[in-house]
Amino acid sequence: MSFLKNIFVLIKQVPDQGSKAGVNLDGTIDRAKARRMLNPFDRYALQAALDAKKNYGGQITAITMGPPLAIEILFEALEHGVDNTILLSDRSLAGSDTWATSYALKKTINYLGEFDLIFCGLQTTDGDTAQVGSQIAERLNIPQITYCEDFKIENEKIIARRVIEGGHQTLKAPLPCLITVANSYKALKYKTIHGAKLVQDIMREEEKKNKYIKILNINDIKANPDFLGIKGSPTIVSKTEKISEISGNCKILKGSKELSLELKEILK
Amino acid sequence: MKEILVLAEHVDNKLSPITFELLGAARSLADKLQARVACFLLGYNIKDQIQALFSAGADRVYIAEHPELKDYRTLPYNKIISDYISSLEIKPHIFLIGATTTGRDLAPRLACKFNSGLTADCTELDIGEFDYNSKTDIKRSGLYKDCLYAIRPSFGESLKARILGPWNNPQMATIRPGIMLPIKPIENKQGEIIEVPINLTKNDLEIEIIESFREINNEIDLSSAEIIIEGGYGLANAQGFDLLRELAGCFNNASLGATRKVIDEGWMPYKYQIGQTGKTVRPKLLIACGVSGAIQQRIGIQNAGCIVAINKDACAPIFRFAHYGIIGDLYHVIPELIKELKEF
Ligand SMILES: Cc1cc2nc3c(=O)[nH]c(=O)nc-3n(C[C@H](O)[C@H](O)[C@H](O)COP(=O)(O)OP(=O)(O)OC[C@H]3O[C@@H](n4cnc5c(N)ncnc54)[C@H](O)[C@@H]3O)c2cc1C
Ligand SMILES: Cc1cc2nc3c(=O)[nH]c(=O)nc-3n(C[C@H](O)[C@H](O)[C@H](O)COP(=O)(O)OP(=O)(O)OC[C@H]3O[C@@H](n4cnc5c(N)ncnc54)[C@H](O)[C@@H]3O)c2cc1C
Repeated sequence: MSFLKNIFVLIKQVPDQGSKAGVNLDGTIDRAKARRMLNPFDRYALQAALDAKKNYGGQITAITMGPPLAIEILFEALEHGVDNTILLSDRSLAGSDTWATSYALKKTINYLGEFDLIFCGLQTTDGDTAQVGSQIAERLNIPQITYCEDFKIENEKIIARRVIEGGHQTLKAPLPCLITVANSYKALKYKTIHGAKLVQDIMREEEKKNKYIKILNINDIKANPDFLGIKGSPTIVSKTEKISEISGNCKILKGSKELSLELKEILK
Repeated sequence: MKEILVLAEHVDNKLSPITFELLGAARSLADKLQARVACFLLGYNIKDQIQALFSAGADRVYIAEHPELKDYRTLPYNKIISDYISSLEIKPHIFLIGATTTGRDLAPRLACKFNSGLTADCTELDIGEFDYNSKTDIKRSGLYKDCLYAIRPSFGESLKARILGPWNNPQMATIRPGIMLPIKPIENKQGEIIEVPINLTKNDLEIEIIESFREINNEIDLSSAEIIIEGGYGLANAQGFDLLRELAGCFNNASLGATRKVIDEGWMPYKYQIGQTGKTVRPKLLIACGVSGAIQQRIGIQNAGCIVAINKDACAPIFRFAHYGIIGDLYHVIPELIKELKEF
């Protein structure tokens, strides 16, 4: 069966939490110093998009907004088998909160045109708000299903199971629809041979690169700069502090004897 | 008069704990601002819950009743709340919503409608001033009074950020469940009831609920347990909990707890679930056995005085925030530990 046309998947590059490099005390990130990675939650969104294509057809476009270096995660998406990629990159986007980010991404989606499904990760590991997906759906005026762990398409409607407190809920929604994919969805599979080869070629051939990776700025998508960046964001981080209690100082004990002694101390 | 608005949540017409937590939080902010507390209640045949909202701190209840509103769905709830608030000349000063699977689904859409800032998953709230002087953002610079300080953990819970959105009302935040304290109910407290107009179109109703399954959460008091022995998927089967029961028996008054994966497998009932969609706990001691430490789990246990992790995988995320760890097979470690504890 092949009736889907366009599937979009939104992915974000985040600092690698394993390495503390580049994360300043005030919560800002020195993106040049930080080790970078694809937001782990977006791996599930990618897998969901690949599953949708496999079962129902269509072309997948992976979209990211970020600094030029964020192109790295587009290579990764291509290796996994997406068909096209978009990098929205512009200085005036720096410091955007979720309101402004969702505005910029919505304009990017409008620029690209029609679609059947948009997949987002549940949340990121840096901003960690889980807000951008729903805000894009609101701006596009389409339905959404959040916390999705499984889905199928029947009679041109999506039927999806979502996580709720104490259980699950199954919803049916018309297309186009935006889905945020939970980390209880299937894990992302290995890269494809075809994808890996394609990325190797892209690295060598500028022309091929331009075919598979489109770089846009805010003029291309006709975004109003007043709604972007720090100035366009309705929230501001006014202060950050380190939380000291739980900060990765796990004392590894050799065995039960040591542990039982520690427990005696703790419970005294 | 300023208004602090909260969204009521309910399951099968029974108000959820988050509703009382939000009202408690709103009450203490309202006292600082000399403001009133209002509560938005959407549902069907739900008027009998209004008194409980007044008793829990609401001065005013906005009610929308309609068969299509019986269970939460994104679009109709979004429409009714946003239509109503947009129609008000003076918007609520603050709007608080639970950081539940419902609240986190709805709040971002509402924030877009109001062009409000939305702070996610807050664990502390306060009121204060904000003196903003930015060289690049001159238009919005100035001194702002009575701002909502929404404070949230960030970066894998290692930082605390205070986030403000003073430029536009309502100032919005979602609030992590299990953190804020409800007030002591005031019996027979009166309040004002306002019926909200309902204008739903076909488009608002286009998402259907095929099925909802929830295990009912009979209160066992995990939230106030001093010692918790928690089991994860690493136990491999339901019988694993026999071993944990034996371990619990070595302490005075220890309770059992479990991860969502355990609940999904049916090894334990939902009332034992800890985490984002279960309980937030703050025991003196929590021993996590075969628990990987996913973010939704971490949220539930990180306020424990001491976390001990027993896990055979040295790379499991739980070792990044546990206080003590043993890397090993729990089926070796725990029987030994029981022996040690019994000897004392
Ligand atoms: C410490 C800290 C706290 C913050 N708190 C808040 C807050 O409370 N409220 C607020 O409005 N902003 C907040 N921000 C800003 C927020 O991080 C940015 O707006 C960011 O651009 C997007 O939000 P997110 O990372 O939380 O994404 P989420 O909403 O968690 O992301 C969900 C999904 O949306 C998609 N997505 C998100 N960003 C992009 C992107 N750039 N490109 C492509 N797809 C994307 C992905 O599929 C992702 O999985 C905070 C930032 C920091 C550093
Ligand atoms: C919206 C949403 C809400 C959620 N809410 C919650 C929630 O409230 N609570 C919650 O817990 N989760 C929640 N989750 C699920 C969460 O993401 C994880 O999937 C879950 O916490 C994993 O449970 P676990 O640690 O038991 O299992 P796993 O992640 O499978 O971990 C099992 C661990 O056991 C270890 N292990 C295996 N065998 C042994 C052995 N013999 N000895 C020692 N160690 C062993 C393994 O190394 C592994 O680390 C939620 C997810 C979503 C999407």
